[in-house]
Amino acid sequence: MTVRKIEVRERVMARNDELAAQVRDRLAGHGITAINLMSSPGAGKTTLLERTLAVLAEPLDIAVVAGDVQTQNDADRLAAHTGRLVQAIVTGGACHLDALQVNDALDHIDLDKTRLLIIENVGNLVCPASWDLGEKARVVLFTVTEGDDKPLKYPKMFEKADWVVLTKTDLLPYVPFDMQRAVQNCLQINPKLRFIQVSAMSGHGMDEWFDFLRQSVGPMAGV
Amino acid sequence: MHELSLAIEIGRLSEEKLGAAVDRCRAVGVDVGTECGVEPSALEFCLEAVLSHPPWRGAKAVLSSPPGDIFQVTWFEIEDDDSPQD
Repeated sequence: MTVRKIEVRERVMARNDELAAQVRDRLAGHGITAINLMSSPGAGKTTLLERTLAVLAEPLDIAVVAGDVQTQNDADRLAAHTGRLVQAIVTGGACHLDALQVNDALDHIDLDKTRLLIIENVGNLVCPASWDLGEKARVVLFTVTEGDDKPLKYPKMFEKADWVVLTKTDLLPYVPFDMQRAVQNCLQINPKLRFIQVSAMSGHGMDEWFDFLRQSVGPMAGV
Repeated sequence: MHELSLAIEIGRLSEEKLGAAVDRCRAVGVDVGTECGVEPSALEFCLEAVLSHPPWRGAKAVLSSPPGDIFQVTWFEIEDDDSPQD
């Protein structure tokens, strides 16, 4: 018996990345912009989306893919605000969505009648950062009830993100959250990050969020 | 947190690469970059489970931690049966 060593260089994420490229091609073929919405659990993804769908579901032809570890509660909540399709993915314990799940979910969506696809990822500030879903933009929700050092503790999520939406700003008077320091911490991890501050409850900043979404599907999309 | 699914994927892509040689594989080398978001000890634990089930025959996972976000299978050790053929 002799033992020989074979050198290979196979990226473990290669298969997911291939599928993500497929998703990207499929979406591009229909002129659809996809946004991957991520955050820790309880940062307000579903509430922000409820308010968003109530105003923009029809004008922007939004479809939603909502991932949850268990239950399809989020998808049910969202479906109450729109006649448009909300596709649930129950991951059955998995901590993130992957490109295969999103690709399968697209089979259930009328792509010809969709301009904006919002993917509500599983609430988790770690794992979803590693999985490309074929999105054009990654948006991280960062809520003022969290520590303003979150970006330093979970750097990969912020490093891979394009936008940070600071949520629940109506609670700022009641929490020790330092907005300036939070933004600095984000920029320290990723100087290219852009920011929107919102309160889905009071409506503060929602126009800016809506404008961001409108622009992401407009003729200037991708610029 | 998702190390088991990564271990299963490592098993899958390694089987694809090795083909029939998979049951003669004695070790799998994996680069787990320090910034790649994967916990090496959890991955090693999961790989041990994956690599002890057929078609694997208890190949050893050998992890190294280079800097950066690289995450790849780097090498296999295969045992060849080189006894004289007759």
